[in-house]
Amino acid sequence: MSKGINVAGLAHQFRARGGAVPALDRIDLEIEPGELVTLAGPSGCGKTTLLRMIAGFVAPSQGSIVVGGTPVRGPGPDRGVVFQQPTLYPWLDVRRNVALGPRLRGIGKAERLGIADRYLALVGLADAADRRPYELSGGMQQRAQIARVLAGDPEVVLMDEPYGALDALTRERLQNELLTLWRETGKTILFITHSVDEAVFLGSRVLVMSPRPGRIVLDEQVPFSSDASLAPDEVRALPAFAETTARVRVAIAH
Amino acid sequence: MSTTHVQTTTHGVRRWAGLAVSLGVLVAVWWLVAAADLVEPGYLTPTPKEVWDAFVRANTYHPIGGGVDRVVRGEEHYFLWEHLLVSLRRIGLGLLLGAAVGVPLGLVMGTVRWVGDLVGPYVDFLRSLPPLAYIGFLVAWFGIYDTSKVWLLVLAAFPPITLATINGVRGVREDQLNAARSLGASGLQLTTQVVLPAALPDILSGLRVAVGFAWTTVVAAELVNGLPGIGGLAYLSGTQNKIALSVACILVIGLTAIALDAVIRTIERLVVPWRGKA
Repeated sequence: MSKGINVAGLAHQFRARGGAVPALDRIDLEIEPGELVTLAGPSGCGKTTLLRMIAGFVAPSQGSIVVGGTPVRGPGPDRGVVFQQPTLYPWLDVRRNVALGPRLRGIGKAERLGIADRYLALVGLADAADRRPYELSGGMQQRAQIARVLAGDPEVVLMDEPYGALDALTRERLQNELLTLWRETGKTILFITHSVDEAVFLGSRVLVMSPRPGRIVLDEQVPFSSDASLAPDEVRALPAFAETTARVRVAIAH
Repeated sequence: MSTTHVQTTTHGVRRWAGLAVSLGVLVAVWWLVAAADLVEPGYLTPTPKEVWDAFVRANTYHPIGGGVDRVVRGEEHYFLWEHLLVSLRRIGLGLLLGAAVGVPLGLVMGTVRWVGDLVGPYVDFLRSLPPLAYIGFLVAWFGIYDTSKVWLLVLAAFPPITLATINGVRGVREDQLNAARSLGASGLQLTTQVVLPAALPDILSGLRVAVGFAWTTVVAAELVNGLPGIGGLAYLSGTQNKIALSVACILVIGLTAIALDAVIRTIERLVVPWRGKA
């Protein structure tokens, strides 16, 4: 079951020499269950900080974050996190990496390895299950990381520029796969990116954050990713797609 | 891929051939110097053959010689390999106990900041002491038998293991911990499932340092009541002018140390195959 995210009056300051540096400024955000929200912004605008606060890695200076009715007090399995650098464990093979969430929940070996195989098949990595993470390409590592997060059965998935370090072709393929996964699983996803095209292509709703202190300056429903009848290449060629990306670019520049 | 493999193999062959040649030259020079009788008295420079004979005698029953019709067992009632085994047993026990203390201590010191700050200076203090400085103290406490020697080895072995473990724990990437937390790991699960395996390469490096340290220490510790023991035998034979036997012991000690290191490196390759790759 997917849950929503509710952020109210959130602000954050970093402690630095010479006083507090404002990082985020009065963020109010309501994410509905099942939405795929993309958050774009220039680097250093605080978008990763916002994600890490929802994940529970960082406590905000002010304000509250509620996920599925429960206030966030720290990291938890209800919020899966896909990191920019894959954090797969080299001492486990790919299957056991994906089975880690079920294992931590105390699910028996046969069952959790079955779960792992199911999610590996879902991301197209069934053949790589017995390999070690360092034997995979960057794109395959990200797929494995996504499979591991989904196998943990979170209510929301937080993705922190997961495709930022990948080449353009791999990146497009993984974007297409993510849409398929989202439509199949109906998870609530918050996806952070610095690529405007990626944000507009993936998001059912696009947010834009201003430079420091971060503030949400654009919040718009986008139709493309929800329409499964459109092929990915068709979407990228639509005039409406170009118009939307242009609007988002303007918002980022301001 | 295959080219690199061929190159590595060629490199390996060349390396071993080089070693064999240098060894041959070394033995030849040794033999020449010993045979030339440059040093008086002659027993100070045993030939390779005399060392080999002493080595064989030390591993067999042999007549005591000097016209006395009696057969003795090895040297000092033990075969040389038994002397070696006793020393290795002391090392093994010392390392095992040292790791049993050092790894958990390092885990706690690396994880809980204030414990590290509190205990760190004492570990550093102990590490900087030459073990021989406190052997007398340990003999007074635990007697001249094996207990004091094993204690010495534990005290020598655990600081490098502890420090390496701390190093490994502090080197765990923050997001590797966060990833496990977000999958629902409890504090204990985080330690056993992420921190410990992530620190394993460092722990094994620490163990390698500790083995070297323990090996030097055991030979020194056997200067006092060290029989049976390979270090004790090396020392005693020297004081009795059995130079050939003493050289045989030295060679055995050195070769065993190299073999031990090779064993640990093999274990490293098997246990942490990801070292240097992730």
